[in-house]
Amino acid sequence: MTRVVITGIGVLSPVGNGRHDFWQGLVSGRSGLGPITLFDASEFPVRIGGEVRDFDMSAASQAFPQAARCRDRKVLLGLEAARGAIRDCGLPEAPFERASLHVGVGLEMLCLEDLTPFARAGEIGQAVASQLPGMLNGGLLQTPLDTTAEILGDRYGFLGGRFTNCSACAAGAQSIGEALRLLRRGEVDLALAGATDSMLNPLGLGGFSLLRVLSAENDTPHRACRPFDASRKGTALGEGAAFLVLERLDYALARGAPCYAEAVGYGSSMDGFRVSDPDPNGKGAVRSMTAAMADAGLAPGQIDCVSAHGTGTPKNDVVETCAIKEVLGPHAHEVPVHAVKSMTGHMIAASGAVEAAAAALTISQRCVPPTINLDTPDPECDLDYVRGKARPFNGNTVLSNSFGFGGQNATLIFGRCL
Amino acid sequence: MIRMESDMYRKVVITGIGLLTPLGKSPAEVLGCIEGGQSAARRPGFDTSSLLCKAVAPIVEFRPEQYVEDVKSLRLMSRDAQLAVAAARLALADARLEPGRTYAAEDIALYGSTGLTGMPAEEISALVRHSADSEGNLDLRQFGRITLKRVRPVLSFKILANMPICFVSIFGSIRGENGIYTPWEGQGAQAIAAGVRAIEEGLVACALVGGCDVRTHEFAFVSLQQLGALRSWADHGEGPIPGEGAAFLVLEEEGRALARGARVYARIPRHALGTTSRQSPLADALSALLVGLSIQRVSHLVAAGDGDRRIREAESQAIEQVSLQAVARLYPKRFLGNLYAAAAAVQVALAATVAQRAGRGQRVLANCFGYGSQHGSFLLEGA
Repeated sequence: MTRVVITGIGVLSPVGNGRHDFWQGLVSGRSGLGPITLFDASEFPVRIGGEVRDFDMSAASQAFPQAARCRDRKVLLGLEAARGAIRDCGLPEAPFERASLHVGVGLEMLCLEDLTPFARAGEIGQAVASQLPGMLNGGLLQTPLDTTAEILGDRYGFLGGRFTNCSACAAGAQSIGEALRLLRRGEVDLALAGATDSMLNPLGLGGFSLLRVLSAENDTPHRACRPFDASRKGTALGEGAAFLVLERLDYALARGAPCYAEAVGYGSSMDGFRVSDPDPNGKGAVRSMTAAMADAGLAPGQIDCVSAHGTGTPKNDVVETCAIKEVLGPHAHEVPVHAVKSMTGHMIAASGAVEAAAAALTISQRCVPPTINLDTPDPECDLDYVRGKARPFNGNTVLSNSFGFGGQNATLIFGRCL
Repeated sequence: MIRMESDMYRKVVITGIGLLTPLGKSPAEVLGCIEGGQSAARRPGFDTSSLLCKAVAPIVEFRPEQYVEDVKSLRLMSRDAQLAVAAARLALADARLEPGRTYAAEDIALYGSTGLTGMPAEEISALVRHSADSEGNLDLRQFGRITLKRVRPVLSFKILANMPICFVSIFGSIRGENGIYTPWEGQGAQAIAAGVRAIEEGLVACALVGGCDVRTHEFAFVSLQQLGALRSWADHGEGPIPGEGAAFLVLEEEGRALARGARVYARIPRHALGTTSRQSPLADALSALLVGLSIQRVSHLVAAGDGDRRIREAESQAIEQVSLQAVARLYPKRFLGNLYAAAAAVQVALAATVAQRAGRGQRVLANCFGYGSQHGSFLLEGA
């Protein structure tokens, strides 16, 4: 089977931008959560989140002229992260003709500002339809979810397929998994795969607040997301983007590219249970992990670390813990399990890609990032969660879970380049 | 990306079709309307004075409660999700396939495509009506303090792009491999191809593939116009007519399908996915796709072209460039409207029906492209 390695990483996250700063943020156990500053959230029930700091949207849109009028933050985050990954892999920005592009995204942004002028109209749709096309001078009411892929595809000349995956929180992991499959089939030589999302806008934050999955501990934002802790009250919304450059091993070796890790396994499943809750028995999560291990040809005892989905919601963490125990058996208690979201918050579609980047760096940097804010472990969550401090890592494999809102599950496994 | 039938791969057949379109819900009914020249186009119920396109292709009679018994669940579902669940159930019934019995639920893959989020105007109205200050500007404090309390939490389920396919999984009891692509016809082709490949490579024995879309509301028209997808109306006085619908196909490994006595519409021996570069003409990209499929003659072509002259002409040029002899040509979108993310599954569903009717060994080509850079073609063979 064709072996596939990761040769480039680009990340924008609440704990740091760029591969180096992101990693330093993670291993130092820094929380990226704080008060929302992107808009006036002062009267929202939840007023905290994980913002990407020091990100200049206008500079990003200048780097990609096609995005010059783009108002959708996740598009610009995605473009910058992708550019970082391509820079990191050391390839010239030549046309990537035998290369594919895989972009995971979340929800289209709807600019409420565009609609409020029509608020007094009884039928807002009528008013918008009759007046808006002439009013916006090209500012889009809805930015189609393939916008990031189209801009990147045109800029870098990706002709091996442009895939826009909208599988919610599983989108990032699925995008990388699908890239792995195309490379293994020999249909492309290289793939740029990742995801981007920002729900830190009034509709996104408001919508998730209504679902009561967010921690409303507004006075202590850095402690708001506490995966596997007995006192956890929900997740925190974050934003971010990450892209990986994946190449055939022989292709990477021939050009002397550094390899962070090898992508060795991918699996996906659906809960088919309820849109609002995970299957309480974790069967979907079990199938996803099992499929990825079968794909990688690994036995439970060969999994050396788990990057958990770990949202900090009461239901998810228990279900995931049970699923890990079912899949890994007694070995589960010997494996370090950590939750990136304790520091970044839940970046929704981007989370699987950001956590995949963290998994690849865990292998290359020989260090497991910590799960922060885990002071009082939930008795039902009884694994080794790497509490508080990063830990040296000499293992060879990391399994990374992503479980989507709506019941989609995806698991990636990365290995050391041997 | 070209995929040719080979001994390396398992053979894939279509054994079930579920359609909900502006021209009906059975392939024979829809084909009959198209062949009879019946159009679904009608005047929209909203003001089109500023819009380039003045027609819409809606599904006039759709009763979701016929397909989803639980009324509480219906309240969580957007119209595209309701259409998706209905079409998926029709496809499973058509294939006489019961997930969990015919195949284990985890051995059935689900690949779907969804379109621009169908933001229901009336619900968005409720959001903004209470959030404007006295001058009509958005007041976020008011939004946080007042509006959010008046919004039903279920709104989130209606606007997340993955939800229609998740509902299909829940109501269809499908738990296997999956992926959801968005937002155009080319991505619909990617979803179908993903299902074909999953079976060919032995990852699953069965796949439910398809898509759904609702572009019949005011916001969709505005968005399409802003994107330039309706420009043909201004340039040529003709163009795509936005429509709504859903289509799903049951794909099975041929041996397993025959063993259980399933009725087979058609085989899918070859397919190709392609990307149009901004720098090269669309016709060249499409002809490259057809060259890859290595076919000289088909009994029928289910053409992708609709009212958009640029796309229709590019498709014709591509067919000429590769000297493909297509004995009969069908242009479904001229009658059905453009169903965007659902269109690829409709194209392949109609092609499968035509192939079945044409008989064993007869080849039918379904082209799937339109707005956006992605496109696909599927070669079907009567079984």
